[in-house]
Amino acid sequence: MVRERAGSLPIDPHTGEPLPPRAQPGYYPGFSTLDQKDFWDAATRSVVETRVNQIPPIRFFSHEERELMEAAVARILPQDDRDEEHTVAIVPVIDERLFLGRTDGYRYDDMPPDGEAYRLGLQGIDAIARAMYGEPFVELTPTQQDEVFWTIHRDQPGGGEEIWRQVPADRFWLMLVSDVVDAYYAHPYAWDEIGFGGPSYPRGYFRLENGQAEPWEVDEQRYEWAAPPDALSDRHQQLGGRHPHRAPAGQEGTH
Amino acid sequence: MNEPLLGPFQPPDTSAHMLGPIQKIETPMRHYGEEEVDVCVVGVGSAGGVLLQRLSRAGLRVVGFEAGPFWDTERDWVSDEAGSHRLYWSEMRITCGENAITLGANNSGRGVGGGSVHWAGFTPRFHPSDFRVYSEDGVGADWPISYEQIEPYYEMLEREIPVAGPVYYPWGKPHSYPYGPHPMGGVGDVLIDGCTKLGIPVSVGGPVAIISGAFGDRQHCIYRGFCIQGCKVGAKQSTLISHVPDAIAHGAEIRDNCMVARVELGKNGLVSGVTYFDSEGRERFQRSRMVIVSGYSIETPRLLLNSACPGHENGLANSSDTVGRYLMVQAGNVVMGRFPNLVRMYKAPPAHALTEEFYETDPKRDFARGFAVQTVGPLPIAFAKQMMVAKGAWGWGMRRVMMDYNHWAPLGLLGELLPWADNRVTLADETDRHGLRVARITYTLHENDHKLIAFGRKKVEEILWAAGAEEVTQEPRYAHLIGGARMGADPRESVVDKFGRTHDIPNLFCCDGSIFPTQGSANPGLTIQAMAARVANYIIQQHDLILAGKTAPLDEPPLRRDLSPPNTYTRGLPRFVRELVGRRSYAP
Repeated sequence: MVRERAGSLPIDPHTGEPLPPRAQPGYYPGFSTLDQKDFWDAATRSVVETRVNQIPPIRFFSHEERELMEAAVARILPQDDRDEEHTVAIVPVIDERLFLGRTDGYRYDDMPPDGEAYRLGLQGIDAIARAMYGEPFVELTPTQQDEVFWTIHRDQPGGGEEIWRQVPADRFWLMLVSDVVDAYYAHPYAWDEIGFGGPSYPRGYFRLENGQAEPWEVDEQRYEWAAPPDALSDRHQQLGGRHPHRAPAGQEGTH
Repeated sequence: MNEPLLGPFQPPDTSAHMLGPIQKIETPMRHYGEEEVDVCVVGVGSAGGVLLQRLSRAGLRVVGFEAGPFWDTERDWVSDEAGSHRLYWSEMRITCGENAITLGANNSGRGVGGGSVHWAGFTPRFHPSDFRVYSEDGVGADWPISYEQIEPYYEMLEREIPVAGPVYYPWGKPHSYPYGPHPMGGVGDVLIDGCTKLGIPVSVGGPVAIISGAFGDRQHCIYRGFCIQGCKVGAKQSTLISHVPDAIAHGAEIRDNCMVARVELGKNGLVSGVTYFDSEGRERFQRSRMVIVSGYSIETPRLLLNSACPGHENGLANSSDTVGRYLMVQAGNVVMGRFPNLVRMYKAPPAHALTEEFYETDPKRDFARGFAVQTVGPLPIAFAKQMMVAKGAWGWGMRRVMMDYNHWAPLGLLGELLPWADNRVTLADETDRHGLRVARITYTLHENDHKLIAFGRKKVEEILWAAGAEEVTQEPRYAHLIGGARMGADPRESVVDKFGRTHDIPNLFCCDGSIFPTQGSANPGLTIQAMAARVANYIIQQHDLILAGKTAPLDEPPLRRDLSPPNTYTRGLPRFVRELVGRRSYAP
C-alpha cells in the first residue's frame, strides 16, 4: 500500500524523490483565505463555512457508482500531494447536484438528462476498462485508468460503443471535468493553493497592479515538481477530434 | 492585522430589504390584486426595470412579472463563485446546431435585475454604422431607427446608470462620461502594453456601469472582482438598484417568482392580459390593457410561441414567421496569455479597458463588420473550465496550469456575428415544471462569422504576444444573446416596429435585446436600457390610443428628462469633449 502511494506522489524532478504530501501544495505557503473570514460578509461566510464543514451525504449514486466515481475523480483531479486532512471532497458535491436535479440551465439535444448521462457514462468508463484491460475500472492501475480517460478525451472511447451512442463521449467528458473543477476550485484549500484572494466584500482590494500582494496575501514561492511516475495526465492536448464542428464552447460568463 | 477594526462584518439592517450595504427599499410596494391594470411587463431585467420605472412615473398602473426572486443583496448574494448559481437561468433549455451555444451562467439571468445583475458592466454604445449594416455592407439588416434617434437615450442612461469612463471616448460618435475612469488592474495593464506596442488606441478605466465615486445611497467600487456574481457593493449598476426602487416609489408592483405561461388574446383580437404561475405554483390571470414582453432573446420568443391560439396557430405576433429567428450571439472567445510576472487577474472589475479600433468593416479584410477587444477576469472555477476547453487540461495538467492562475492575463474578443434566419428559438417537446414547452435553440456559424472569429482571435493573440506573453491559448466562446423578435419597417420580415409594438397586435409590445436586428461589437446592456427608455417614452406619449387598442401613429416621442430617476439627468459631463467631437482617434 505504501509503495503504491509512493508511485502516485509528485516527485522532485532533480532528485527523482517523491515529494511528501503536504497540507498546502502550491506556491503560496502560509496563505489562508479562511484566516480572513472575519473580514467577509455574513452570507458569504455562511456559504463557505458550510461547504468546508458539511460534506453532503451520497444520495444519487449507488454504492458501485460511487466507488467508480471516486476512482475516476482521483485521476481527473488527483490530490495525492495533499495530506488526508486537506483533501477536498468532490464526489459528494456532484452527487448533491444530481440528487437535487440542479443543472446549468441547458442540455445538448444529443444528451440525456444529466443524471441519466452520469449513470450511462460510468457504465461507459467501465466498458472501456474491460475492453482495454479485461478488468473493471476500479481494479486498473492509475496508469491504465489515465489511458482510459485519454481515449474519452480524444473522443475515441476504447470500448462501450453502444453506450457512447446514447451519451456522446465528448459531451460527457466536458460535463464530468466541469463538475469536478466546479467542486475543487470552489474550496478555500484550492484558493490557497493557487493564490486566489477569495471572498473580498466588504473589504475589497487595494493593490491592483503588477501582481502585488495585499498585506494579508503572500508572494509566490515557486518550486519544481513533476507529476507522479504512474500518471499520464500532466500534459495538454486539444479536446475531441472526431467531431471538429462540435468544438466545445465556453460555459461561463466573462464579458 | 488579522482583526477587522470594527469587529466581524455584520449585515447593515436585517429588517430592511437591502439593495447594497446602504441602499434599502423605503416605500411599501403597491399591490393591485386581480383588478385590471394598464400594463403588464413580463421580465424585470435590463429593459423591464427601466420600462416599469418610466411608465409608473408617468402615472400608468403597471405590474412587472419576474420568474426569479426579488433579491435582498445582503442576504441573497455572496462573494463566492459557486454560491452564485441562483443568479442564472437554470431551468431547462435544449441547445443544438453545429455550434451549439451554452446558456445559463454564460448569458442568461434570472431574478429582478435580470442580466444586469450578472453582466460585467461594459457599456459601450453601438456605433452609427450599426444601424445601417445592410445598406453599408450588404449583410445583416438595417435598423428601422438611426443612431441619432437613440443617442439622446444613451446620454440619459449613461447618467442614470451612471457610467464611469474616459473624458474622451474616440470610437463611433465620440462622447464623454459622467464619472471618472477606474484605476487599472493587472489585465488592463497587459491590454494597454500590448496595444501601445502595436499602435492600437485603448480606452482605459471604462466605459463601465460601475461608479468610481459614491452616488446617492450607492457606494463606489472596491475592486474585489466579483462583478458577474452580483455586485453586493452596489457600485455596479443593475436595474434592481438604479430603476426598480424608483418604480416601486411611483406605484409599480413587482411579482417575483412568477412565471408567465401565456399572453392571452381577447375576442376583439387584442391582448387581454397574462396567465402566470404565482410563487406557490397556482395558475392565475392578470387582466391588463397592454402587455410588454421583456424576457430577452430566449424567453421572449418562447412566450410568444407558447401563446399560440386560434387565429395565431404559429404563436402570437408571428404572421411573418420571424418569431425566434435571427437569433444571434456575439463571438466571445477568451484569449489568454501567460506572463513571467504575476498578474492576479481576480482584482479590479473584469471590465476595465477595451479597444474598438477594429469595430467597423475594413475593406482590407475578407469579411464584413468587426470586433472589440476587452479585459476579462475569470475567477478560479471559470478559469479552470477555460483551461479545460482551451488546452484540454485535466488531471495533473489541470492542477499545474491552475497553480499558475496568477500568471495569466485573459482578454475577450467581442465580435459581431451576423443574423441568419436558421439560427432560431423553437419549442421543444419537453416541458418544464409548469408543463410549459421549453425553448430549443439552434445555432450554426456562417462563413463571415468563421472568418471574423479567426481574424479577431489572431489579433488578440498578437496583442498578448506584444505585451510579453510567453504562451498564448484560447477558448472558443459565444457571449451575449441578441435577436429572436427583431424590429423592422416591413411586417413581412420582422416582429415589431421601431417602437417595439408587434406588427400584428396593437397593444402587444416586445422590448429587450430580442428586438435588435443586429448586434454590433458592443456589449448590449446599455443599448437595451436606452431602447427601453425610448419605447417607454413612445408608450407614454401614445398611451390613450394604445390602451384603447388603437393603432397609434409612429411619431418620434419628445424626450422626457423629467422621467429619469432623481438627481441623474442634471449630472455634468466634462466640457473638454466638445472641442474634440469629430476627431476619431487620440492621434494628433
